[in-house]
Parts: sequence; C-alpha cells; structure tokens
Amino acid sequence: MSTPTHDDPRPGDPNQGPTGAGTGPAGKDTGPLTGGAASATGSTASATGSAGAAQTGPDRDMDEPPAGGSFTRYFLRKLGGAATSMILVVLLGFFAFRLLPGDPVLKIAKERPMSPAQIAELRSQYGLDKPVIVQFWDYLVGIVTGDLGESYVYRKPVASLIGEYLGPTLLLTATAAVIAIALGLWLGQLSAWRRNSLFDKVASSTSLIFWSVPTFWLGLILLMIFGGTLQWLPTGGMVTPSLEPWSAAAVVDVIKHLILPVITLVAVVYAQFLMVMRASLLEEMSEDYLTTARAKGLTEDEVRRKHAVPNALLPTVTVVFLHIGGLIAGAVTVEAVFSWPGLGKLTFEAIRGPDLPLLQGTFVVFSAIIILMNLAADLVYRFLDPRVRRA
Amino acid sequence: MFTNPTLRRGWHRCLAGVAALALAGSLATAPAQAATSEAPGDNVLRIATDGFIDSFNPFTSFYLLPTNTFRYMYENLVANDAKDGSVTEGLATEWNTDDDGLVWTYQMRPDMKWSDGEPLTSKDVAWTYTQMMEKDEMAVANGSLVENFDKVEAPDDDTLVITLKKPQANNPGQEIPIVPEHVWSKIDKPGDFKNDKDSVGSGPFQLESYEANKSVTLKANPNFWRGKPKLDEIQYRYYTNSDAQVQAIRSGEVDFITGLSPEQFSALDGAENVDLNDGHGRRFNGISINPGVADAKGKEFGTGAKALKDKKVRQAIRAGIDVETLRKQVMQDYAQPATSFIPAVYPNWALKSDNPVISGFDVKKAKKLLDDAGWKEGDDGIREKDGKTLTLRFLTDADAPIEQSTAKFLAPWMKDIGIDLKNESTDVDTVSERTTKGDYDMYFSGWSINPDPDYQLSINTCGQRPDAEGNGGTSQDGWCNKEFDKLYQAQHVELDQAKRQDLVQKALAIHYEEAPSVTLWYPNQLEAYRSDRFDNFTKQPTDGGAIANQVGYWGYASVEPVSDEDAAGGGGIGTGGWIGIVAGAIIVLGGGGWLLSRRKKSDDRE
Repeated sequence: MSTPTHDDPRPGDPNQGPTGAGTGPAGKDTGPLTGGAASATGSTASATGSAGAAQTGPDRDMDEPPAGGSFTRYFLRKLGGAATSMILVVLLGFFAFRLLPGDPVLKIAKERPMSPAQIAELRSQYGLDKPVIVQFWDYLVGIVTGDLGESYVYRKPVASLIGEYLGPTLLLTATAAVIAIALGLWLGQLSAWRRNSLFDKVASSTSLIFWSVPTFWLGLILLMIFGGTLQWLPTGGMVTPSLEPWSAAAVVDVIKHLILPVITLVAVVYAQFLMVMRASLLEEMSEDYLTTARAKGLTEDEVRRKHAVPNALLPTVTVVFLHIGGLIAGAVTVEAVFSWPGLGKLTFEAIRGPDLPLLQGTFVVFSAIIILMNLAADLVYRFLDPRVRRA
Repeated sequence: MFTNPTLRRGWHRCLAGVAALALAGSLATAPAQAATSEAPGDNVLRIATDGFIDSFNPFTSFYLLPTNTFRYMYENLVANDAKDGSVTEGLATEWNTDDDGLVWTYQMRPDMKWSDGEPLTSKDVAWTYTQMMEKDEMAVANGSLVENFDKVEAPDDDTLVITLKKPQANNPGQEIPIVPEHVWSKIDKPGDFKNDKDSVGSGPFQLESYEANKSVTLKANPNFWRGKPKLDEIQYRYYTNSDAQVQAIRSGEVDFITGLSPEQFSALDGAENVDLNDGHGRRFNGISINPGVADAKGKEFGTGAKALKDKKVRQAIRAGIDVETLRKQVMQDYAQPATSFIPAVYPNWALKSDNPVISGFDVKKAKKLLDDAGWKEGDDGIREKDGKTLTLRFLTDADAPIEQSTAKFLAPWMKDIGIDLKNESTDVDTVSERTTKGDYDMYFSGWSINPDPDYQLSINTCGQRPDAEGNGGTSQDGWCNKEFDKLYQAQHVELDQAKRQDLVQKALAIHYEEAPSVTLWYPNQLEAYRSDRFDNFTKQPTDGGAIANQVGYWGYASVEPVSDEDAAGGGGIGTGGWIGIVAGAIIVLGGGGWLLSRRKKSDDRE
C-alpha cells in the first residue's frame, strides 16, 4: 500500500495488461458500434479499415452479433477471479498482521506504570485473550455481517471509522484523478500527434521525471516552498479548525488545503495517462481511415479530434479505471505528508498503533476497491471494444 | 469530440460520475468539520500534534496526548511543582501522615467550584478513587496508582483520608485526575464514556470539542482556583509529519511545536518571529545490557550472552564507551550528561555526579576488567575464553538515526577493548518483542521519568521481572539484586525526605556499579513557539526545563498573548499567492473555453 503508483505498470511498458491487448495488430474498427444515424465518415473509415488492413482470422467476424452466452461466461469468469482475490485478501488481512512482530498490548503498556492486572484487562478488552482460531472465526463472521471489529485506538467500530475517513480521501483522489486524467490524455494526444517535436519531447520527459520522483519527497518539497517559505498555502490538514462548516470561508479554506496534495498526486500519476494516450494514438496514426478522413477535406485538427482520438481512447479508458484504484492507494503517502484526514492517514496511524482491527479493515477495504476497479475495467473494456467480446 | 454518439455519451457519463464522486466526497467530509463558530482569535494558542487519542476518559485513556490534556483538565489532590517537580498544593492545601506512612489525611481548599459552577469537595475525590479501586474498567489507565489503597473516606467536605494497605513515602494523591461525582455518577457505563466535548473539570482548561485527526479545542476555565488563564483557548492541530510541523511554525499556522530533532531545531534557528526552547527533559537514554534475564522466580530465559552475566564484562563495556563524545556528536550537545536512570531535572533524586562509584571513559581499565574476567585477547584482537570469542549483538531501531549513529561509534570502541559488537538493526516492534523474550545482548533503551523515583526504582527490583512471554511485570533491564531490593523497600516507606534521598542515592549507586545498563544522556526536549503571538511559557523545571509534556499544567496556563501591534497576520495565502492562483485559474478556464469554442465550431461544420 505504500507508494502504490510505482507498483503499477510503468507507462510505455509494452506488457501493460489491457493496453497491450487493445493496441494489438488488429485494425481499429468502430463499425459495429456505429449507429445508423452516425456520421458517414465513421462508417467509411471503418469500412476502409477492415478492407485495407491485412486482417487476421477473427477480425473478419467483426460484424457478427456478440453471442449472449459468451458474455455471461466472460462475466462469470471475471467475477470468479475477483471473488478469489477477495477471499485471499480476507485471509491475508487476518494472518499477515498476526505475523507482525510485537504485542499490541505490550507496546501500549511500554514505559507506562501498568500493573499485570491492567495489562490483562486490556488484553480481554481487545479480545486478545481468546485463541487465534476463535479470533479468526469472529473476524470471518464479522466480515460477512459487515462488522470489521472495533479499533483499539479509537474505540469505535472500524466500519464507521472507515466511513468517516472515506469522504476526504474521495475528495482528494477524485479531484486529482479528474485533473490527472484530463491533463494526461490531453498532453498525450498532442504529443502523439506532434511526435518527435520539441513539444512531444518536453511533455513526455517532464511527465516521466515527475513519475520517477518519490511522492513523499515531492510533497515535502512543495510543502516547504509554498507552505513554509512563500507561505501561500497551508502546510497540512483539510480545513482550519473553528471555521463554520459549509460557510464560504470554509469552502475556500478546503480548496486552499487541497491544492498542494492534489498537485503532488497529479504530478506523480499523470504520466501514465499521457504515455498510454500517446502510445494508443500513435497506433492509430498509421491507419488508413485517417487518410480517408483527410481525403474528405477535413483539417488536421478535425482528423485528430474526430477520428483518431476517439479510437485511441478505447484502450485508454480501461487503463484509467485500473489506475483509479491505484490512485486511492497512492493517497496513503500524500495524506501522510499533508496530514490529510483520510483513509491513508487512518492506515498510517493504524500501523503506528499497531491497531490490528483497523489495519485489517483498511487493508480489506483498499484491496476491495482495487479489485472492484479491475473488474469494472474488464467489463467496461468488453463493453467498449467488440473484439474482446468474442475472446 | 466523438464520432460515435454512444461513446460520447459514455465518456460524458464517466466524467459526470467522477464529478459526482468528487462532490459526494466533499459533502461527506463537510459535516464532520469544526464545531466551534468563532474564527481563531489572537488569544488561541495553536499547538501542532500527531498524538493518538482513544478518548478523553481519564479512567481509561493512556496515550500521551490525552494524558497531557488531563493534566490541564483535572486538578489532582496534590500537584507537582514547576520548579523541580516536588509535591505541592493542588485541591489539597495541606496533608500529613501517621508515623507509619499508612494513613494520609488531606485538608481541602475551601469554596472550590467545578467548571460548571457546582461545588467541589472531598466527596468528589473519594468517589473518583473508589471507582478506580472497585471497578476493573475504571482502573485501565491509572489502576496501579491506587493498588496500595485500602479505603478512602471523606468525613466532611474539607477532609479526605486515604488508608493504605502498606506504608509508602510517596504522596498517594499525585497524578490521579479527580472528576466531578455529580457528572460521572449519572453515566451508565463510565468506562465507555468518551468525554469528548464540554467536559467538566477543575483544571485551567476544559475540553470544548474534539475531531479525530483534525483538532482538539480546550477552553479556559473561569472557576480555576488559581484564577482564569490569560489564554482563551488552546487548540491542538494535527500534523502527521514533523517536517510539516516545522513549516507550519515558520508560516505561522501554529504557535507551538515540540519534539524536534536536532536538525529541525537548528534549521529554525534565526527564523523570523520564532523563539526556540532547548529544554532539559525528564527522559533518559541508555544501553541495556542483558545481565542474564530470568523470570520473577529466577528461572532463566532468552539468548543473552553468558559473558554478560559477569559484572566485570558489563563494567568493561561502560568503561569502553566515550559517553561524552557520543553525547556531543550523536546528540549534537542537545542532551545533558547523565549518571543514572533518574534524570538531572530531579536534583533531589538524581545520582550525584560526585558519587565515588561514578567512573569515566577508560580503555586501560576496560581491558583490565576483561583480563580479570578471563577473556584473553586472541590473534585478531577479539577476546576469547574457553574457545569462544567475545561477540555481542547490539539491537537497534533501524528508523532511529540516533540509535544507528550510536551503533556506528560503539562498534570500533568495543573492538578497541577486544569485543566484537554486531549491530542488528531492525524495526521497533521486533526490538520490543526480542527484548521482552530476552533475545538480545545489548539494546538501545529509554524511559520518561515522573518526579517521584519510586516507580522507576520498583521496576528494577527482582519481583518485577516478567516471564518469558512478557507477562507478569515490567522490568527496566531484567536485572535482580537483593541489596538493591532492600534499599528500594527502605526508601519506599521512609517518610523523612533527607533519609529517603540518601537511600535512593545508595540504590542508584548499586545499579551503577552492577551495570545492567549504561545511561548515556538525558535528551533535551527541543521546542519552538511564535514569539510574535505569545510569551510567558512556564518551564518545568523553571530553570531550563521543557514546556510540553510536563507533570502538571504550568506550561500553557501562564501563557499571555503579546500586544496586537507585534502580532503578525499569520499564515494563509498572501496577495502574491492569490494573484498567482487567480492567474492560473484564468489560464485554465480561458484555455478550456477556447477549446470548447473550437469544438463547437467544428461540430457545427459537420
């Protein structure tokens, strides 16, 4: 869960799961998706594309309606995979943290004048006096009934704690995601269209430099410059305490607090969207349907925006979904740097504890988000790209 | 943008979904925000913190931040002086004990009020203590402090009598927050009570509101018996990382920070409107040497080197460490020279530096001690005995720079006297687990010490050793010495202060001589505050002490705001910043608008 962005496939990696699959040798074909009333250009382009490219076997079946049964099979297979991952996460969530060295109660009691009776009382309050197998059973029953246990530190149900801290994380990651996706896709398509130009080189290399920079370090540098030295922006937290909630001042205050963490998160992640978009559009640029479009007298800009980019977006959408999960996990570091009161900070505190129920809870929730995003990516991709439907 | 309407709709829907997600996020966060309605004024002391809070229930919470807050919220029966930590008046103005130290009688201050205006009497004290004595769930945090209480009575509103099970010299009225009976007796499950807003207490400040991981707000108590504090509020703000705290004090977002590293402290030297406090702390750091740990019954466990059971080897290790160089280099002089485990901020108890037992860095002596112990130098300079070389493990926390630097100095020094010292750096939890199980030779340790030495002495007695699983007791070094135990017991019941001090000195001298640990230094508590906003912080000890983490409520209770003219506006975005942000917004919006207009035109063309 630490710096998860770097666990993701690197931009430009030829083996990038769905992108690789999507940008295969098959010609892009918008044919089956184009409705009857769609522009003639689209149909022409697709027709040209199919006819022009040396097609491999399955692509000739493009116009066949997708078989209903195969979708169910595909869906069930993906769902099965997701469920298996989830079961492993649930098991790991219990046992991995039990393997951690140190006894939470002794750690709390460390350097404190605590009698054996007090320590025993704590152990029983935490349920640590029960055999591990009983604790495991309680945990399983809890997961099924939506009860993630009670945090040692906050003395509150873990589920309600996660609910409380989810909001700030969503605000931070959603803002960052929208900006990073928009910026990455926009710069990516421009880079591809002007490949090998100065713009392309600067845009690509800048994004890769930010990508390579450790999130923690970048955050700290921004914090020092804009928080400490220039004093333009707040150095931590989400809102200045004692402002009236929902007042104009409080909203402006939250936006001010958002700027630095969002910039950090965007700077580190937008490269992956840029590179995917760039690679995907480059793939399109050799296609014949673009020549057709040009032949029709469309300007270069129109060819790019109306024909090339929409097709290039296909593989990109999946990657975007995949990385939203990663972004939420990436918030752990950013939240820790900027004291943002979200799930990441909650996890950070839980590790410091160590607060076992809270660690388990955040681990399961983070993992569930990522698994769901992967599943969504698979399903959306199949919906968007007809070729996968027959796979 | 899209040739295909389905795709276009999908894309728009996707964007709309993300936007909705963002909005939902902001909606979800907003209601949990600050509860107070006033804007922070000049009279609010803002303190950066990263402390844990489980609750503000003084019977159950034991984390550092709540415990420090209780010291401001609840007066104790007797307090610890700012000057040197000695016992001074609190709710009680006078006290005396019978000749055995078994029955303690307190005279309460007359006409005291709780912060809600209700009268405060000895009955409240008796009720508080009795709750802790009778109910397990009320004894979680401070149960050990009332273990020796037999009964507590309030014969009238102004008198309190504590009868102990066994005599003790240490005043039993310290460090237990006294709560109002009229509030707490009405609560169904007082052990589960969070007490996290509008608290009622008798200390200088009362908890007004608390928001997890955001802020804690305390308000001045007009009924505080020493008079209403000059500050209106204290506000703790959450900063997860200490570097952000340093930037926050620079920018004026907070007024006080503590627990700085020497590097952070030096970096703030000369910062505008920031004053520094290099305060003597109540903590010691040392190297614990495994003297052959055993459980309370004397059964040995663990993997400690047999060589260390010999006191001469332990003494040789002490003689081979140049503590003064270490203190200056590793701690950059931000630490006080040490004698024993009672820090110098408690001059009544700390082992006097002229005690004849104290010896310094002496390589010759170290070598001789090892020779005498039968460890002879081998060909490679490492000592041997019975075919075994003198190789020891030094357990350190890999994330603690001070421990790693110490290990770097230690290895060559030990080699000089013929000991092969291997640094085993690992995570703090592993250190904790391995030391509990006795699976170490030496490790870097430290404790914070309260004004009375009784507890710290007690955890060096034989009976406090835990079993191999870490159950049963808390021992400082896993050490056991019958003579020390006798001295501990004697001082425990000695009511004559001078005689008690003498007994404590003798006990500490034995610990020093036996060398189950080498005390390295008393680290300073490095703090910084905004001099343009506040002054008159009280230190403990008043001469060169620390402001935060005191035993008592002196640090912030005396703080006064400086005059308005001197006070700067504090953090936030300056004019230049706003110009930059507005310009950025114009570029983004303008650029977006231009793109949109172009799209519209080309859409029209089709």
